Amino acid sequence: MQQIIDFIIRKKDVVVYLILLLFSLLLIINSNYFHKSKILLFSNSITNYTFDKFSFFNEYFELKKINSSLIDENLFLKSRLEKVSNNNNIDSLKNVIFKYKNAKVISNNLSSFKNHLIINKGADDGLKNEMGIINSTGIVGIINRTSKNYSSVMSILNIETKINAKVKRTSHFGTLEWDGLSNSYLLLNDIPETADIKVGDSIITGGMSLIFPEGINVGVVSEVINKKKHNDSLSRLNTNNSKYLDTEFRENYLNIEVKLHTNMNNLNNVYVIESLNREEFKNISK
Amino acid sequence: MASVYFLVLKRFIIFILLQGLIFNNFDFFGSFDPYIALVFILTFPIKINKITFLIASFCFGICLDLFSNSLGLNTAACLTAAFSRSYILSFVFGSFFDPLGLKLIKNYISDSSFSQKFLYLVSIILIHHFVLFSLEAFSFEFFSLIIYKTFLTSLLTLTFCTTTIYIMIKNEK
Repeated sequence: MQQIIDFIIRKKDVVVYLILLLFSLLLIINSNYFHKSKILLFSNSITNYTFDKFSFFNEYFELKKINSSLIDENLFLKSRLEKVSNNNNIDSLKNVIFKYKNAKVISNNLSSFKNHLIINKGADDGLKNEMGIINSTGIVGIINRTSKNYSSVMSILNIETKINAKVKRTSHFGTLEWDGLSNSYLLLNDIPETADIKVGDSIITGGMSLIFPEGINVGVVSEVINKKKHNDSLSRLNTNNSKYLDTEFRENYLNIEVKLHTNMNNLNNVYVIESLNREEFKNISK
Repeated sequence: MASVYFLVLKRFIIFILLQGLIFNNFDFFGSFDPYIALVFILTFPIKINKITFLIASFCFGICLDLFSNSLGLNTAACLTAAFSRSYILSFVFGSFFDPLGLKLIKNYISDSSFSQKFLYLVSIILIHHFVLFSLEAFSFEFFSLIIYKTFLTSLLTLTFCTTTIYIMIKNEK
């Protein structure tokens, strides 16, 4: 200890220099946007690289599950192909609105309020912001940032994500949001009280924003909470619905809880949806 | 001693204003500014101790940055130049270097040979400019550009600094 203090006293001008230099470097990085982005890019590329290498080993343990899910998907696609080949007079070139690309999830986060995934394709593979991500069972998220080889995806388990969805049976449109609590349930808002929604109805994407095509599976209704009935039930039994005591409910709208088809804990192969008409759609909806 | 601090304070203000208001807008050959503010570090009295010198040049750099709108760049460069000055002094002047003596810059200029003065000025200017431009570019992609800009700006700074130092000596005599 004595020697360390001696050393510091002997080299005190070096120590002062290093402290001041550190301070000025912090100033540079914090106040200049260019330097900040450069540092962020550098650190991101390192972590993404390690995630990439690590997921290479992890994949082997998941191979069985992936195989079975791929077989399921193949069967489903084959059945679709039958239908398509039956009415082959439709011009397939003109009707293609969405293009699919495959990608792999290399890092997945579920613990925060704003969860993000990283996938192993980026701007070099033609990915851009606001492209939808699905897997074979349902929706996963929306791309919000792309670098050269990687993209960051706003997962559906992110309190800022809002996805247009509809009830398959009654075609009522609503907005899917996450309440930040459970990783297998979402809330479907903006559906009027008059709608006849039952537990077990399936929810699909609405196709209003051209991020997701219409009809991709999201989940099934697991609970419908009507505000009026909710208040009545509250007065009758307080303990049963304690889960929803704190949440705010809007007047005249149903609060629907949706159980996701997608298992967000276990994501591996995902598909990126590229909408070919997106620019055109954006221009006309300005 | 108090008069020395007063001298330093006077130079501090004069060089900040000179650099910030006049020389930052020079733009020789498009984009080369002479860094005349380096005279403050080059002619800082050696009898003031090193730590005060480092802190003074840190403050000097921050003030320069406020004028050139690049917080931190000039600070790091001035700090590095100030830190390396004591090593360069003992390297260049050797026996002349007398940290306990009361020599001001005049003694150095008059007692040492031309090559010594030249080496002293050039090495500090090169160090300052190299640190400044490499921090500004912040990547090794532009290494040749950094070197090119360092040398051209150093030439400009050298001529302006030499002139300024000669004027200062004449005034202080």
